[in-house]
Amino acid sequence: MSKPILSCRGIRRAFPVGDQSIEVLHGVNLELREGERLSLMGTSGAGKTTLLNILGLLDPPTEGEVYIDGTSGWGLSAVERAQLRNRRIGFVFQFYHLLPELTALENVLLPAMIAHGGMEYLRLRSEFTDRAREMLVRFGLEERLRHRPGQLSGGEQQRVAIARALFLDPPILIADEPTGNLDRRTGEKVLELLFEQQAERGTALLLVTHDERLAARCERTLYMEDGLIQADSGTPIPQ
Amino acid sequence: MGMLPRSPARARPRVYRWFLSLRYLKARRTNWIGVAGLFVAVAALILILSIMAGFLSESRQHLRGNLADVMVMPRMDAPIAATGELPRADPGPLLELVRSHPGVAAASVQLQWYGIMMREGGSEVMEHPLYGDLGLVSLVGIDVEDEYATTDLRESLLSTPPPASRVRMEYVDDIDDPFAQPQGFEWDGLPLPTILVGAQLAGSLGLHKGDVVQIITSSIDREEGAVGEPSNEKFVIAGFFRTGENEMDLERIYMQRQVLATFLDRDAAWSQAMLRLDDYEHDHERIVAELRHKLYQAGYVHDPEHPFYKGGEVTTWEAFRGNLLGAIENEKALMGVMLSLVMLVAGFTIFAIHSMLVAEKRRDIGILCALGGTPRGILATFLLIGCWEVLVGASLGTLVGVYAALRIDPLEQWLSRTFGVQIFNRDVYLFDHIPSVIEISGVALIVLGAISVTLLFSSIPAWRAARLDPIEALRSE
Repeated sequence: MSKPILSCRGIRRAFPVGDQSIEVLHGVNLELREGERLSLMGTSGAGKTTLLNILGLLDPPTEGEVYIDGTSGWGLSAVERAQLRNRRIGFVFQFYHLLPELTALENVLLPAMIAHGGMEYLRLRSEFTDRAREMLVRFGLEERLRHRPGQLSGGEQQRVAIARALFLDPPILIADEPTGNLDRRTGEKVLELLFEQQAERGTALLLVTHDERLAARCERTLYMEDGLIQADSGTPIPQ
Repeated sequence: MGMLPRSPARARPRVYRWFLSLRYLKARRTNWIGVAGLFVAVAALILILSIMAGFLSESRQHLRGNLADVMVMPRMDAPIAATGELPRADPGPLLELVRSHPGVAAASVQLQWYGIMMREGGSEVMEHPLYGDLGLVSLVGIDVEDEYATTDLRESLLSTPPPASRVRMEYVDDIDDPFAQPQGFEWDGLPLPTILVGAQLAGSLGLHKGDVVQIITSSIDREEGAVGEPSNEKFVIAGFFRTGENEMDLERIYMQRQVLATFLDRDAAWSQAMLRLDDYEHDHERIVAELRHKLYQAGYVHDPEHPFYKGGEVTTWEAFRGNLLGAIENEKALMGVMLSLVMLVAGFTIFAIHSMLVAEKRRDIGILCALGGTPRGILATFLLIGCWEVLVGASLGTLVGVYAALRIDPLEQWLSRTFGVQIFNRDVYLFDHIPSVIEISGVALIVLGAISVTLLFSSIPAWRAARLDPIEALRSE
């Protein structure tokens, strides 16, 4: 069995509401192995997105640890954490989240622009541009390279977002209901692309979904309820 | 992956800051309002302050007139140490004293008194003083050669009035001997003592070169304190002078010092000394202080250490005209303060526009965070927008402001012609052009001000953007 690339131990997260604090996660343990395709299911309000934000190093847990490549993500400085997000994790959101002022191509290049300083980037620019163009062409967006997100359909936008998430070849891909905002057929196609790319690159995928059929296509499925992972299709839950 | 090093060099400004700030600047038209505000503020400040500086320097020249760098007006009452005589009998010792002082280039003495001048043949003199054939004048007796060396008298005798001015000049026959009788002049076959009159005075009284005037004066008896018998004498006008300083050109009459001394029939042969310094701009303060001390020791002036001493006896021409120069300087500073408010308004505009931009870009900020942007990077991105704005606004403003200041005259004429309103009335001012002096330090200060105002006002929204919670920002859909 391959080693875990992303894991968490005893994650608790409480939000202040008025003078009280409401705990949303009650000590979640999770492990994502290299190249694994893992789905996370659960009713809305089960705490999936909160967990995802904590795993993605966007939101600090009240308690617990997140390990990426064995390094405690929340023990690092903010700059180091940002670097981890940039290099090791790709995000795909339900609402695509492309920058509206940038073309499709520029949106894909954005992670590289965040990774590199001016001179470095200039030196590598043609290489980057070629690669981004190649990806978009492969994703069936040949005619859309210079289009703004506003000029693209939902499926096209999500494909650009997938290209962006995978551009720096991160070992971890976190996708939060990537087809949740798409019609059935478009969703299928986007998902095909996502799985195909994930398999080809050997990226570990953590997929949050409501869709049973979608989860069925993953190697392993976790069921979340009331802030805890209640069931694991692969292995028994360690208590 | 070979082309993506695992641990990239730290602390190098990431390229997205430049890229996104430029893109936001371009995409948001409202940003250009801030740029326009900065442009107007910088251009207007440079133009107005250049004109004010021009007025100041032009006015300085005009206000100076025929005053010298430094003037010495000694006390009258006490005998001087060296000779035991009253100081104003013989100027020799004083001239020797000041000329020997290092830093003093030249010195001369003048004898000054007052009188009433009227045109010869003006029969209704006393009945119609307002008609302008009677004038109260200041009589200044000089030694020509010394005077040429210390004041600008020679230049003022050769001065050409600006074409638009209504002042006309009538020049002396021989500049090296200005007090020579005008050519072909005769008065009952006798020579008359000559005077040089200010061009404005000549104009107002309708005098010409070669005209004969009468001057009435009376000296005060020092011992009895009473006004002495009035004396009057006829003089012939040898030519006009024009200093550009209104008061001087309107009431001053030059004659030879010996002539005036004889006319007044007093024991005083001089009343003040005029000094030209080698390097006025740099040395005047030091030399004035040294002279005060030296002249005090020789008995010419009062003790400069005395608490009530105000320094009027040895003074620079600027201190002599201090309040007038101060007024213009004051006006310039006031204009600067007023126009800085325009800059402040530009700053507020930028603040408002950037705050709007940050509010609008909340989601983008969240996305940038998720992709690995740091709070510092986001702060820099929004701050850079301000930098581009001030770069464009201030450079355009400087360019246009400096160009307008250099070409203010044709510009004003064009505006006046186009709109049919006279913007600069050349009859009101003493100059026939709009003076303008571009001070590099002033321009630098204005540009620096624009930069600091922009950075200050764009840093607040940028800071807010950097502090945004990425989760919060991503949720807003």
